[in-house]
Amino acid sequence: MKLKGSYIAVVAAAAIVIAFPAFLGAYPLNVARSVMTYMALAISWDMLLRSGQISFGIAGLFGLGSYASALAVLRGGMNPFASVLFAAAFAALVAFALGFAILRLRAMYFSITTLALMEIFRIVMQNLHDFSGGPEGVVLPKIIFDGYSPALYWLCLGGLFLTIGVSWYFEKSKMHLALTAIRNDETSARSNGVNIFKYLLIAFVATSALQGMMGAIQVQSYGFTTPDTAFDANFLMLPMAMALLGGIHSTIGPMAGAVLLGIASEWLKLKIPYGHLVVYGVIIILVILFMPQGLFGLARKAMRNRRKAGANNE
Amino acid sequence: MSKLETVGLTKSFSGLVAVKDVSFHMDEGEILGIIGPNGAGKTTFIHLVSGILMPTSGSITFKGRDITYAPAHVRSRIGIARTYQLIHPLENLKVIENVMVGAVFSKDKSLKAARKSAEAICAELELDGLNRDTTQLSILEIKKMEIARALANEPEVLFLDEVMAGLNSDETKQVIATVQRIARERKMAVGVVEHVMGVIRELTERVIVLEAGELIAEGPYETVSKDPRVVEAYLGGAA
Repeated sequence: MKLKGSYIAVVAAAAIVIAFPAFLGAYPLNVARSVMTYMALAISWDMLLRSGQISFGIAGLFGLGSYASALAVLRGGMNPFASVLFAAAFAALVAFALGFAILRLRAMYFSITTLALMEIFRIVMQNLHDFSGGPEGVVLPKIIFDGYSPALYWLCLGGLFLTIGVSWYFEKSKMHLALTAIRNDETSARSNGVNIFKYLLIAFVATSALQGMMGAIQVQSYGFTTPDTAFDANFLMLPMAMALLGGIHSTIGPMAGAVLLGIASEWLKLKIPYGHLVVYGVIIILVILFMPQGLFGLARKAMRNRRKAGANNE
Repeated sequence: MSKLETVGLTKSFSGLVAVKDVSFHMDEGEILGIIGPNGAGKTTFIHLVSGILMPTSGSITFKGRDITYAPAHVRSRIGIARTYQLIHPLENLKVIENVMVGAVFSKDKSLKAARKSAEAICAELELDGLNRDTTQLSILEIKKMEIARALANEPEVLFLDEVMAGLNSDETKQVIATVQRIARERKMAVGVVEHVMGVIRELTERVIVLEAGELIAEGPYETVSKDPRVVEAYLGGAA
């Protein structure tokens, strides 16, 4: 049974990553958390991309989630764990409201608008001195789980698992048909009963909630944030590069891209501080030029060719 | 009883009137031919009825319900399906998934139920290799897939817009005959836009003729084809 085999592989892989804290120290766990955060963002970016909409706003929702969570704890006295859920709900609500305006836009008009929104969120946070701490940002009284690194790791892993789960649901349910139909041919989708706006809104709200949640987990794990950290272009560029490298329109592609690029970026950051962004840019350009389907796309193509060659030899 | 009815339907594109004051009706289980020279407004008319374009004036009613400005997805859900003159495959979905889209979104079927009904429809249209990519299909197979997708909407009114353009008339007849048989079983009304008059003559009971956006004749093909206005529209006034 092929299905059973892959099921066992997934459970085994999950068990191994859950057990990481047993044999990894604080620094590797820290790196792992960073990779997982980017991975979740890469997957969520890809989820909306499956409808053909290229969002440049993921860092905006991520930062918004960071601030929602930090301020809920700081100003509202909310439990840090509850604040993560609150941030996800808040990001979802913002996406829902904005969605009515911006989901009617397509292609670069949508992309540019989401990029502008990200900048607006950052400027708002930077200028609400009394409420958000202005450019200095916010410092939380304490880090969640008292900064115990295995717990922080598991929290982040939980966020990642949830993201993977939602993405998997998008792949296996009628969301897959809806989003692919919208991406391929909106006219055809419409005349076959697909309510385009509804499915775009579901995808936009769901992915924004996940991005907000990851932002909240990030801020609760570090205990502080500033407008420049929360809305860092890294949280946009790197996930995009990861998804493109691994292979878009799937869950597994962005995951593979995140592992490769996440580990490479840790190394690059040490070797060429601040220069690593250039490297991501180059990767995006090279991937788009030479393998637009990413690594998994290449692998699929190679497998098809081998099957074809095999069939020809028989 | 008439299923679909338009009254004074008009569409103009900044001055150019593509469809002008067309009143027509389609009855349960009837096969209606929609003919006219190139640029007569046949496709625009179908765009209006299926909600891809919104009319400038006039009204559209479906089973007594006003749907003049209803969005396209709502119309396909209540029972109006169509195919396109130019092919519209969903190239990142398998053949079977292409067909399932109609059943899943228009009839709210589960993926499993949609797959089952899609398979049944494809079998009727003699379309196989359902797990292929659409890029592997021949033009005939793509056309069949798009008809199957429209049928998976389980429409009460179906429009086939030059569905067989680019195919020979035997293939065309075979496919339309299959649709006709399905239409009889389901008591579905079918509107067929076709340039091959043999197909129209053999398969349709009633014909409407559009010329320059206007409905100029209506009736059985034999009568309509002798109508001087129709002859003039096709052959030109000077003759």
